[in-house]
Amino acid sequence: MPTQLSTELLHRLRRAHQRKPLTWWEQTYLPSIALGLWITSTHFWRNLFLHIAHRVGAFRDIPASVTIQYPEQQREMSPRLRTRHRLMQRDDGTPRCVACMLCETVCPAKCIYITPAEHPDPNIEKVAKSFDLDLGKCVYCGYCVEVCPEDAIRMDTQRHDIAATSRDGMWLDIIELLHPGSKKPSDPPQKFVQLSLDDFRRLKSSPETTD
Amino acid sequence: MPTLTIDGKTVTVPEGATVLQACEQAGSPVPFYCYHPGLSIAGNCRICLVEVEQSPKLPIACYTPAAEGMVVHTTSDKVLKARQDVLEFLLINHPLDCPVCDQAGECWLQDYYMNYGLYNPKFDEEKVKKPKAVPIGPTVMLDAERCILCSRCVRFCDEITKTGELGIFNRGDHSEIGVAPGKELTNDYSGCTVDICPVGALTDRDFRFKCRVWYLGSTKSVCPGCSMGCNIEIHDNRERKERPHVAQGARVMRLKPRYNADVNQWWMCDAGRYGYKAIDEQRLTTVQHRNGHGHQTSTWSDALDLLASTLRRLQEARQMDRAGVILSTQLTNEDLYVAKRVAQALGIRNVAVQGPARPGRQDDFLMKADTSPNTRGAQALGLSLDAAGLFARAARGELTTLYVCGPDVIEAYGQAAADQVKNCVELFVYQGSNAGGSVQAAHLVLPAAVYAEKDGTFTNDQGRVQRIRPAFAPLGEAKPDWQIWTELAARLEVPVSFTDAAAVFADLAAREPAFKGLTYEIIGDAGALLKA
Amino acid sequence: MWTDLLIKLALAGIVLFAVLNLAGIQTWLERKQSALMQDRVGANRAVFYLPWRWAAPINWVLRKLGGVGLLHALADVIKLLTKEDFIPSSGAPFLFTLAPWISVFFALVAFAAIPFGDSLQLFGRTVDLQVAHIDPALLYVLALASLGVYGVILAGMGSGTNLSALGGLRAASQMLAYEIALGVSLIGVVVWFGTLDLQELIRQQGTYLFGWIPQWGVVVQPVGCLVFMTAALAETKRVPFDLPEGEPEIIGYFVEYSGMKFGLFFLTDFVETVLVAALTTVIFFGGWQVPYLGPHGFAFPWGGAIELSRLTVVLLGVGAFTLKVSFFIWLFMAIRWTLPRFRYDQLMALGWKGLFPISLANIGLTSLLRVLVH
Repeated sequence: MPTQLSTELLHRLRRAHQRKPLTWWEQTYLPSIALGLWITSTHFWRNLFLHIAHRVGAFRDIPASVTIQYPEQQREMSPRLRTRHRLMQRDDGTPRCVACMLCETVCPAKCIYITPAEHPDPNIEKVAKSFDLDLGKCVYCGYCVEVCPEDAIRMDTQRHDIAATSRDGMWLDIIELLHPGSKKPSDPPQKFVQLSLDDFRRLKSSPETTD
Repeated sequence: MPTLTIDGKTVTVPEGATVLQACEQAGSPVPFYCYHPGLSIAGNCRICLVEVEQSPKLPIACYTPAAEGMVVHTTSDKVLKARQDVLEFLLINHPLDCPVCDQAGECWLQDYYMNYGLYNPKFDEEKVKKPKAVPIGPTVMLDAERCILCSRCVRFCDEITKTGELGIFNRGDHSEIGVAPGKELTNDYSGCTVDICPVGALTDRDFRFKCRVWYLGSTKSVCPGCSMGCNIEIHDNRERKERPHVAQGARVMRLKPRYNADVNQWWMCDAGRYGYKAIDEQRLTTVQHRNGHGHQTSTWSDALDLLASTLRRLQEARQMDRAGVILSTQLTNEDLYVAKRVAQALGIRNVAVQGPARPGRQDDFLMKADTSPNTRGAQALGLSLDAAGLFARAARGELTTLYVCGPDVIEAYGQAAADQVKNCVELFVYQGSNAGGSVQAAHLVLPAAVYAEKDGTFTNDQGRVQRIRPAFAPLGEAKPDWQIWTELAARLEVPVSFTDAAAVFADLAAREPAFKGLTYEIIGDAGALLKA
Repeated sequence: MWTDLLIKLALAGIVLFAVLNLAGIQTWLERKQSALMQDRVGANRAVFYLPWRWAAPINWVLRKLGGVGLLHALADVIKLLTKEDFIPSSGAPFLFTLAPWISVFFALVAFAAIPFGDSLQLFGRTVDLQVAHIDPALLYVLALASLGVYGVILAGMGSGTNLSALGGLRAASQMLAYEIALGVSLIGVVVWFGTLDLQELIRQQGTYLFGWIPQWGVVVQPVGCLVFMTAALAETKRVPFDLPEGEPEIIGYFVEYSGMKFGLFFLTDFVETVLVAALTTVIFFGGWQVPYLGPHGFAFPWGGAIELSRLTVVLLGVGAFTLKVSFFIWLFMAIRWTLPRFRYDQLMALGWKGLFPISLANIGLTSLLRVLVH
């Protein structure tokens, strides 16, 4: 049995629930329609004027739209944003990846494919001779970055314009991962590209892209 | 028969048992590294410390004999603290390279650290550096830094193989495992040192980096390498659909011995351990039919129709003695039995089982000269082992149809004899799992499943019937031999039809006296002996 | 005889050309106007270039056209023509194919009765700027407008799926409901001006109340005008009455349509917008009438006059008609991008309980006034 509400409280509750009844004139909705049309029309005419003015070079400093004109304009992205992956390099150009397979294991989409190999230096247990990532499967969860014990994979390329005309086109091989942007859209997709340590050293990128 | 109390539970253990065994029996297992039931007791890892009432110190469970009236605590605060401290000592110089260590996932250090460790490390000094990734033999890689000096591998080489290649060198925290100067770990059982190494110090060079252990699936099976019939586990790439790149798509990653007190105990030889390549390499995956110059891909129904019509013609001409069947001791009891039944029903009397082409190396431990797993089974089924005689008759032109299931006849009898047979017989059918010499000679090639792909039993030289189980489906169009025979039987209206290997074995046990009373349940994981 | 036919054909060609182009431009207008109302830029990407060197000036023009989004209509056409022409296996292929054609046909044919200018004296002939001079033109237009419902019903039923069938029924009942209000709202005009002939209706709207107020339909029939515009929007299924389409929530009758068949429905939508704009202009906003423009030029009520030739006057009329129609198209677009969609029960309530009684009352009031005034 609910407790008795005081009449005062009931009154207040009722008032809170009741909307102000519409007047007859308001009920025709004509004033609201007119007001809405007025607001949209002011935007329309203002922007129409500004667009035409921009065409002839006037009022360039007043924008006629609030949208960002992608891809000519790009939005400033947060450095925390998870974007396309890259592999980090050591100073000699070899990948930092030690082929521990933790990212391959943790990946919920199972989109990482690593082939390990022995490293000639016995103090380095192993090295990834191929490292492939299928962006068509990737869910951008960032677990691979979290789990990596070597800071070898990052998702900070700020590349998010990922598109391809085939499934294979979404495939990133180790070269593309080490040097984002080196693959052109016209390049035929390659899977499981295997590289030796000498290949890595030869392909070493310029100092400003490594860190 | 001393009776003792362990964690409040009273157990009676056999005379001479240790406290560790008593604890295991009482259901309060104690951690250990250096103890191995198959080796002598070293007592040097110290992690099996337990509290025994009225004992001034914590004794090690592995070396303390169980005595009448002992009261043992395995989970008291004192024990837990001691274990933690021992673990911390063991890990002082252990490198933190679990992510790249091949043992990760099946490492006892990881397991015990999670169960008994979880301490804040107090070690602040430099770790001692030791050699890493040293190949100490053709099969084993040593990482001395990871070693906790339990000496299991040293004792194995001293006591089991008695070759003594390994030893502990230097003193104090510079102690390390190594091979004696000028020696290599080349004994026939070297792979077992990797099995018994509780940490990542010894890793298998064949398996190294091939596949992370947590991707592995495991199937209980029997090694087909020789008539010893060592119990094994087939470790396959369980996630090969999602990870087809692992080991270039191979299915079997490694074989591991499986404990069977009556057969191989904990061990297996290297020949068996690394003999799994044939499961994935050079397999026959399609039915092939030779016409004119080369082989063309055909279908099961066409091939079996051809074989059936040939046999039917012989049957109608009452010339069944011109047909011959050569089976193999590599086949399971089920395969041999179905083949025998169908051949009998058709009236083919020329049935023989081909043994291994040449004897293998034999020792007084696990390796047998007979390199096929089921010679005893073929004998128990009453099949003739005189395949050579049958082949010679074929070479003389006495046979018009030869159906070879399994053995590579060219390897056994040479190219010349095979060519002669090929010219003499009208239809030479080769049914096998791997590409080999016989394929070139055959008119019809039927792909068969290998042992890792089928259900069945092998009978080892003790007469022990042991189960093999399918780790994965047959590759390509391959089928188990018994199934191919039943499909042939259906075409010839022979009333031999089975749905699975268990049904075959049930029929076999009912009709063959040697197998009387056996079922898959009785055979279980440990196997069961034949009656005779 | 043959000359008459030629003239009619020419007129029909002109009307068809104008209407279809207006409809095409509306795809651009729709994009751009909505963008400007929402502070966006709108279509500005689709462009193509000719590969030859001499085509550089053409390419310059193309770039400018593409920059303002005019080539998007072309891209639309290419897309619609090359898309898979899907016919659901559960449907009736013939009816499925027929439906969009019926829709677009009746919408286009209705334009035959719309006069877009005063009669013109050319080479000794009197040419009505109207494809077909039909005495009860208003009836003709209303009849054709109501035939549009067949396209909807056939599309819904021909698709052979429950969702489109329900969508078709819903659309049909909406169109029937608003057709009543539409027809009844026009009776006021008919009563006032006493004619069903649209050309005659426009001529009558050229007279002046009290000598200076143009006697446009909207002046004498403000309520009728409002009801007509509302009902006409609903009849042509434009926002905020576009429930039959309602893609995101209630799925309409052309859910199974793709490619150019869908394109025809799309086209119908725009043609009907032009039709409603034209009808509103003709019936309530004086058609081709320009205030104070008589057959011989301007004659202002406060004195003063500008003499103009007959041709100029007629052309001014045609211009005025076009301008008025354009304004209403703009207005309907603005309404579309301002108002949210009705709920179905609200739609029905407005039709039956709102517009219908109001238009009935309007007839009574108009009849009374008519009797009193004349």
